[in-house]
Amino acid sequence: MASNKEVHAKTFGKAFVNFFKGIANYFTDFGKAISKGDLAVKLSTVLMGAGYFARKKFVVGFLTMLLEAAFIFMCIFYAAPNLAKFGTLGDTVRSTQFDPLTMQNTVIEGDNSFLILLNSVIALFAIFVFILLWIHNIKRAYELQQDSEKGVHIATFAEDFKSLVNGRFNITLLALPTLGVILMNVIPILILIAIAFTNYDQMHMPPSALFTWVGLANFKNILSLSSGSSAFGYAFFKVLGWTLVWAFFSTFTCFLGGIVLAKLITYRKVKFPKIWRTLFVVTIAVPQFVTLLLVRYFFGDTGIVNSFCTGIGLTEFLKSIGLVANHLSYIPFLTNPGWAKFMIIMINIWVGVPYQMLIATGVLLNIPESQIESAKLDGANAWQIFWHITMPYVLFVEGPTLITDFVRNINNFNVIYLLTQDTFVTTNQTLANANAKEVDLLVTWLFRLTNDYYNYKMASVIGIIVFVICAVFSLIAFSKFLSGGREESYQ
Amino acid sequence: MENAISKHDNYEQKELKLRSKKKSETATTIIINALIAIFALIWIIPIVWLLVTAFSKYRGIDTAHFFPAQGWTLDNFKIVLFEPDSVVQYIAWFKNTFIIALFSCIISTAFVLMVSYTFSCMRFKGRHAMMKFSIILNMFPGVLSMIAVYFVMKQLGLTNSHVGMVIVYSAGSGLGYLICKGFMDTIPTSIREAARLDGASEVEIFFKIILPLSKPIIVYTVISSFLAPWADFVFAKLMLNSGISTDWTVAIGLYNMLGKDLKSHYFSIFCAGGLLISIPISVLFILMQKYYVAGVTGGASKG
Amino acid sequence: MKMRKFVALAAVASMLIGSLAGCSGATNESSAGGAVGDDAIQNLIAATEGTVSLTVWASEEDQAYTQGLIDEFIALYPDVTFDIQLGSESESTCKDTVLTDIEAAADVFTFADDQIQALVDAGALQPVSAYYTYDVANENAAGAVEAATVNGQLYAYPMTADNGYFMFYDSSIYTEEDVQSLDSMIAAAQASGTKIGMDLSSGWYLYSFFAGAGLTLGLNEDGTTNTCTWNDAGGTDVAQAIIDYFGTGVLVNMTDDEQATAIANGEISACVNGTWRAETAQAAWGDNYAAAKLPTYNLNGTETQMSSFSGCKLVGVNAYSDQIGWSMLLAEYLTNEAAQIGRFNARGLGPSNIAAANSPEVQANPAIAALAAQADYATPQRVGGNYWAPSQTLGEILASGNPDGTDLQTLLDTAVEGIEAPVV
Repeated sequence: MASNKEVHAKTFGKAFVNFFKGIANYFTDFGKAISKGDLAVKLSTVLMGAGYFARKKFVVGFLTMLLEAAFIFMCIFYAAPNLAKFGTLGDTVRSTQFDPLTMQNTVIEGDNSFLILLNSVIALFAIFVFILLWIHNIKRAYELQQDSEKGVHIATFAEDFKSLVNGRFNITLLALPTLGVILMNVIPILILIAIAFTNYDQMHMPPSALFTWVGLANFKNILSLSSGSSAFGYAFFKVLGWTLVWAFFSTFTCFLGGIVLAKLITYRKVKFPKIWRTLFVVTIAVPQFVTLLLVRYFFGDTGIVNSFCTGIGLTEFLKSIGLVANHLSYIPFLTNPGWAKFMIIMINIWVGVPYQMLIATGVLLNIPESQIESAKLDGANAWQIFWHITMPYVLFVEGPTLITDFVRNINNFNVIYLLTQDTFVTTNQTLANANAKEVDLLVTWLFRLTNDYYNYKMASVIGIIVFVICAVFSLIAFSKFLSGGREESYQ
Repeated sequence: MENAISKHDNYEQKELKLRSKKKSETATTIIINALIAIFALIWIIPIVWLLVTAFSKYRGIDTAHFFPAQGWTLDNFKIVLFEPDSVVQYIAWFKNTFIIALFSCIISTAFVLMVSYTFSCMRFKGRHAMMKFSIILNMFPGVLSMIAVYFVMKQLGLTNSHVGMVIVYSAGSGLGYLICKGFMDTIPTSIREAARLDGASEVEIFFKIILPLSKPIIVYTVISSFLAPWADFVFAKLMLNSGISTDWTVAIGLYNMLGKDLKSHYFSIFCAGGLLISIPISVLFILMQKYYVAGVTGGASKG
Repeated sequence: MKMRKFVALAAVASMLIGSLAGCSGATNESSAGGAVGDDAIQNLIAATEGTVSLTVWASEEDQAYTQGLIDEFIALYPDVTFDIQLGSESESTCKDTVLTDIEAAADVFTFADDQIQALVDAGALQPVSAYYTYDVANENAAGAVEAATVNGQLYAYPMTADNGYFMFYDSSIYTEEDVQSLDSMIAAAQASGTKIGMDLSSGWYLYSFFAGAGLTLGLNEDGTTNTCTWNDAGGTDVAQAIIDYFGTGVLVNMTDDEQATAIANGEISACVNGTWRAETAQAAWGDNYAAAKLPTYNLNGTETQMSSFSGCKLVGVNAYSDQIGWSMLLAEYLTNEAAQIGRFNARGLGPSNIAAANSPEVQANPAIAALAAQADYATPQRVGGNYWAPSQTLGEILASGNPDGTDLQTLLDTAVEGIEAPVV
C-alpha cells in the first residue's frame, strides 16, 4: 500500500492550483503560437487549415477547411436565427384563425421559447467546441512550423491516420462515446441549468405561450426560509433533510445487512449455501417495478399484511402502545409519514440486501486467511475478529462503492416513487401547497413537479441543487477510488 | 502450517475446550440455520405472492387472501401470451424490448469497453480530468434532465421510434466505465508492455490482448446493459408517447396495467406478465452474479 | 348515416366578420353555436389530397368500440384515403401526456372535463367554432355543454355525461328510505356488520360535504387560481361533521380500488362512487344492486343534502393538428347520438346527448338514474390545479380524525390558503 502516500499527497488544493495553471499555460501557448508563428500560422486564424497546407498536409488541411465551412454554414443557418432570439426567448405567440367554410386553420407561426433555448444551447456548445478546435488548429500549425524549421519529419496523412489506431487510439476510442455523452448528458444538463433562470412553468408553456429569463428569482424562492405563499423554501429544506437521512440509512442498513447475511450463509455448517444464495438473488432478479408495486399493495391500508395483522391482534396491540392512531382499523404502513419512512427503509433493505450480500460474499472470501488465523491464535473471539479484521477489510474494499451507493440513494427514484406514488397523501398542508410530500426525495419531488405540475423552472433549480450535492459526494468517492495509487498498484 | 506444532503441543487442553465448544457450536448452527430460513421466508413471500396471484381467477387485487380465494387458473398466462387486446400486447412488447435491449446492449458494451480501455491502459493529457468529469456526469440521474432529453430526441426526429430508445439507453453508457476499468486495471501492465515491444499497435493490444482477458467483465457489461431496458418505465413512457400500445416496451405495458382505471381488471395479468419476464431475467442474473461480484470488488480482491 | 344539414347563415356571417376583425378563435365568442353544412365538407373533400393521417386517443376500455366508429367514419367518405391510428390513453391522465408535448399528441383525444381548463390554457384545444353534422351545443345536455365551455367558447365535444358520483348500495341491507340520509345508512350498515366506503382523501369526493353546506369553491377569472370559502363561518361545523362520521368506523375512507375489493369480499355494502364501479357492484350484489343520489348528512342538527361534482368525458381536437377539418368531423362522429347510444349499449356509459339519454334503455339503468337524480345537486367540476393537493390532504386529516388535534379553523385556513395559492 505504498501508493497510499500518493493519494494523500494529491490534495484538492493542489489539484485546484494545477487546474488554473493548466488554463494559464493553455492560453500562453496560444499567444506564443500567434505571435511567433509565420504567415501560414497567422493565416490559420482566418483560414483554418492554412498551416497544414503550408506543410504540404493537403488532406488534413482540406478537411479542416471543410470543418470551418461547415461551421460558418451552421452559424448562418442555425446558430444566428436562434441566438438572435436567445435574449428574449421569443416574442411572437402563435395564433390561428379558423375558417368554417374551408375547415382549415390559418396559422401565424409563433416562437417556441423552449426550442429557441434548446437550439441556442446546442449552438453555443458547438461554437465553444469550434473555438477549442480553432485554438488547437493554430497551435498545431505553429508546432508544424517549428518541426519543419528543425527539420523534423512531418507525418503524412497516412501516418496520421495510422496513429489513430496506435498512439492516438484514445481519440478514436473516445470519439463516439463522447458524442453520445454530449447528446444525452451534457446538452440536457446545460438546458436544465438554463431553465432554472427562466419562468418556464404551466403558465408559460410552449408552444402556445412564451417564457423568458427571470434571473435568480427561482433560487431566491427555494432558498427563502419563510414559508410564504409558495412554501417552496419550507418544503425544500424538509425534503432535503429526509433525502439525506434516507440516503444514509438506506446505504448503511443494506451494507450491514449484506455483510451479516453473507456471513450467515458462508457459516461453514450451513446446509446448501448455494441454494439459499440463489433464493435471495431471485428476489432481485424480478424487475424492481414489479416487486415494488406488488409490495405496495401488499402493505396497503386494506392489504393482506393488514388483514393478517388485524387477525393476529397486532393492530390492536400497536394501538394500545400508541404506535397506531386510535381511530384507525389498520396499520398505516405506507400512508402515515412516520410509518411510511420506516417501511420504505425496511422495504429498501429487502431490495438492497441481496445485492450487498453478493458483493460481501465475494469480498469476505478474499480476506487474507493468515490475518484471521493469527488473530485466533491471539485468542480473539468471533466478535472481535469480525469487528477488528473483517469489517476494516470490507470497509477498505467497499468504501468507495459505499459512497457511490450513497449518491445513488440520494437519487433513488424507483423505490420511493413506486411505493408512494398515488397512495401516500401528505397531512402537512404547507408541504402539500408546494406539491411535496413527507416521503419525497428531491428527485421524486422534482419528477412530480415536472410530470404533474409542469413546474419546470423549480424542478430545474432542484435539479441543479441535487447535482451539486451529488458532485461533492462523487468527488470524495473519486479521490478515494480513482486517484493515482489505487489504480496502478495492481498493474 | 507452522501452527501445526503448537497445535499439537496443546492437544490435551484443546480436547477439553472442544467438548464444551461443541455444545455451543451446535446451538449456534441451529440458530444460524433458523435465521437464514426465516430471512429467506421474508424475502421470498412477495415473490410467492406474485407467483400465486399470476394463477388467480380473480382479476383485481385481492387484499384479503394471500392465496387465490376464487380458484386457480392459467387464463392469465393465456391472455398474456395468446390473446392480445388493446391493453395487453405482451408478445409485441416483448419483441420491442428485446430488439431495443439487443442493440442498446451492443452499443453500450462497445462504448464501455472503449472508454475503459482508454482510461485504464492509455496515458494521455487530460485523462484524469476526463475521468473525474465523467464520474460527476454519471452521478446525474436521468430523471432530472428527462424533458430536455426528450426534446433533443424530438429535434432529431427520434421520438416514438425504437432507434431513439436505443440511443437513449446507450448513448451515455460510456460514463458507466468504472467497474469495467477497475477490472482492466488488474490486468498486469507487463503483458501490454511485452506486446508493444513486439510491435503490436494499440488497436491490436485492445482486440487481441485486453478483450480476451476481460471476458468476465464483458459478460457482466453485456448482461447488465441488456437488462436495463426491461426495467425502465420512466424514459420509455416519455419517449413512446403515441399511445399505440403495440409500440411499447414490456415495462410501460405492465406499468400501464396498474393505471387507475385498469388495475381492478388487470392485476393478476400484470402478475403473470411480470412473472414471465422475471424468468429469463433471473436466469441471466444468476449467470451474471459472479462477474458482478468480480467487477464491483474489482482489483481489490486481488490485493 | 344520414347527414343533417344545418346551414345557419347568420352564424357563418358572424364568424366571417369575426375573422375579418382578426379575432383569434379563442376569443371569438359569437361563433359558438354556429353550424355549417355539407358545403364545407364538400370543400374539405375537394381540398384534400393524398392520405389523411390521423391519430385518435381513447381510453383502454373504449378501444374496441372506438375502432368500430372509426371504421364507420372511414366508410362514410369513400373518396378520401384515411390512415387513422387508434392509440390508448387513459381519459383521466390524458392531459399529462398532451401537455408534455402538444405537437406530438393525437389529433383527436378523449379526456375528462376537469382537464379542459389546463388544456385550453396550454392552447391544446381547437375551439369548436362551427359544427357540421349535428348541433353540438344544443343536442347535448346543458351541463355537459357547460363543462366543455371555457370563457364562453365551446372547446370540446361532449361524449358521456356520467363522470360524476353517487351512492351504490346493496338493497338487501338498505331500504330506499335508509339511503335518504347518511345517519340511517350508518345505522343499517352497523346492524348488518358491514361498512360504507368513500374516498375522502380526494378533493373530488371531499367537495360533496362542503358544497352541500353551501360553501363554495370556484375558479377565478384568470382560469388557474381558485376562490374557496370553506374556512368561512360554518366551515368548522362541516369539518366536525366529517370527523364524526368517519369516527364511527362505519363510514370508512378507502380508495376506489380498495372499494372494489371491499365490495367483492362483502366488507362494504354501499359506497360513494361512479358508473365505472357499476360492474363490480352488480357482480357482487346481483339483484340487490341498487344506486341512489347521495344522502343527506347531519350538519349541526339539520339534514343537509350532499352535493357532488358532475363530470363528462369530452372529445377534443388538437389545435396543432395538420388535419383540423377531418379531426373535427371525426370528433363529431365519435360523439353523435348514434355513437352515444352505441357506447351505452356496449359499455354502459351514460350519454350526454339529450335524445340518447332519454331513450328507454338508458333510463332503466339504475346508476344513470341515480346520476340523474344527483344532477340537481351537482356542479360541473371547474377548479384550478392547486385545489387537488391541499384538499386531498385536508380530506386525509379529517378522515383520520384530525390526529394532531389542530384547531379546525386553522386547519381550514391552511387548506384554503393552499387552494387559493397562486400558481408558481
